[in-house]
Amino acid sequence: MNTVQIDTGRLNEIGYNSCVASCGSFMVLDHTVMESHCNIEGLVVLPLKQAFDTYPHVREKLFFNVVPRDSSDTTLQAAEKEPVGYYVFVEPGIRIEEPLQAAFLFGETGSHQFIHNIIELGEGAELNIVNGCTTATHGRSGTHIGITETYLGKNAHLGYTMIHNWGHDMEVFPVGAVSVGEGARYISNYVGMTEVRKIVTNPAAYVETGGSARFYSVIFSKGDSYFDTGARVLLKGKDASGEIISRVVSEGGTVISRQLLSGERAGSFGHMECSGLLLNENGVIHSIPELRGAHPDINLAHEAAVGKISREELSYLMTRGLTEEQARALIIRGFLDIKIEGLPDKVQSFMDEIISRSVEGSI
Amino acid sequence: MSFLEITDLHVSVEGKEILKGIDLSLGIGRTAIIFGPNGSGKSTLMGAISGLPGYEITQGSITFKGQDISRLSVDERSRLGIGLSFQYPPAIKGVRLLTLLETLNRQTPEKITEYAQLLNLTAYLDRDINVGFSGGERKRSEVLQLMMQMPDLLLLDEPESGVDIENISVIADGLRIILEKDQPISRRKRSAIIITHTGFILDYIKADIAFVIMNGHVLGCGAPGEIFEEIRRDGYSKCSSCFAEKFCEEYKGAL
Repeated sequence: MNTVQIDTGRLNEIGYNSCVASCGSFMVLDHTVMESHCNIEGLVVLPLKQAFDTYPHVREKLFFNVVPRDSSDTTLQAAEKEPVGYYVFVEPGIRIEEPLQAAFLFGETGSHQFIHNIIELGEGAELNIVNGCTTATHGRSGTHIGITETYLGKNAHLGYTMIHNWGHDMEVFPVGAVSVGEGARYISNYVGMTEVRKIVTNPAAYVETGGSARFYSVIFSKGDSYFDTGARVLLKGKDASGEIISRVVSEGGTVISRQLLSGERAGSFGHMECSGLLLNENGVIHSIPELRGAHPDINLAHEAAVGKISREELSYLMTRGLTEEQARALIIRGFLDIKIEGLPDKVQSFMDEIISRSVEGSI
Repeated sequence: MSFLEITDLHVSVEGKEILKGIDLSLGIGRTAIIFGPNGSGKSTLMGAISGLPGYEITQGSITFKGQDISRLSVDERSRLGIGLSFQYPPAIKGVRLLTLLETLNRQTPEKITEYAQLLNLTAYLDRDINVGFSGGERKRSEVLQLMMQMPDLLLLDEPESGVDIENISVIADGLRIILEKDQPISRRKRSAIIITHTGFILDYIKADIAFVIMNGHVLGCGAPGEIFEEIRRDGYSKCSSCFAEKFCEEYKGAL
């Protein structure tokens, strides 16, 4: 392992620490896999290229499948490169409590990083992945394109947490799609707390009968950041359900927050909540919630609100002796506080810590 | 100089004068009741004492513990020892009641559990402040927050409105602890001003004096129980004859 170039401080900030107990770990620096460990039987963690040789179905059936090769310019560009990323597989029936850690570190100023990950969970398998993406202190600017294709077997469960901590001159284009099998559950958490030039991402989940997909995202936009983020949940099977919750705080920059819930079969159930908090006049939050129903027996709903911190709430807390700054921090911290059912305590408390640190740093 | 001394207080809200020269004194360890019809200026007085935005003091002064507080911010007044129970407390989405209580608590951590049990709010600690709370639950939550603050001057704006009889008694239990009602009056260190419409709270909290406010003026003062009886019998319009001058003078003399 090339320890000279790895920036451990930045890795800790996104929750990656190869010494901490976890079921496995995977790290890429620029275009090179630096670490790929697996500590548990029934779990496979391999560089994708190696997986192509060991498991032929990965290239034949899973590679550029749920994310089609020609779905965008970004994917076409990525398809021309040699894939660097992980293949993660959990055997049927294996439930893994400790999260798998993955980190993507960007160090080479001005370059393009292309990542392609594939996740496959067998029937009844369970796993949590914490993905952190960060720029090394010496890597100032560049482009990161990351494709993640996820396949969940019947009744499988995946918690997928993504923490972005890019440098402020980075442009980042994550592309993700998930095939959620019958009765399977997918939970995605996205945390974007640092200033970044541009992030464009709009992952999709295709949910089969009785399955569920939930997307949670918290974004704190600062400076001239540009976020065009969202989630699409396409309820393909009967009684499939989806939830999208997005919380955006802005003290600068532009955040476009797109959400789509689409119900196509009887019993589809979905809920969406998009809330934006503007701390000053420097930022823009553009919330675009969309509902699409293609069957009469569905139940889809959304709530959306963009506004400022209410004077009444601030005064209320100040009558209790809090200063205006303390009252603001409490409200913002509370606004970004999403308690996610089914997320391991370890991951939840790490997310809480990152959010608190970011709010305290801002107020 | 008394604990709280309000002199010739004029207060405007959105440019309209609501309080037109209020004079009011409150001694240490004393509880005062304020009666008055709707729109008489009772809540404006609470807002002006606590320093809430929107209540503009145009004339006069408010002196608390010997210090003129009329130019201090709402949080500075709170830290000086003024605590307010809102008539209509807002809901704050995302901020858990427990988080706020932990921020306010200057006593042992066990006090949160003890007082939450007393006010039947244990199950509400993990909920967002006042979100989905009934009227009674909000009022109990106000008292619980004040029990963490333990202010020297308690301002209670209709603590019993929207609360059923059973819960008024629970609220009063909390208030009695803050106001050290189990102590002889000479040992009590905390004072209160209570606005009440119904007078129900008087069955549970013994007050020392009552003031009647009408049209932005203090009409007079007297013994709380007697004034309340007269208002109930004859209404506010005939109240001008219901004051006991001697009582008020004795009260002022005792401050």
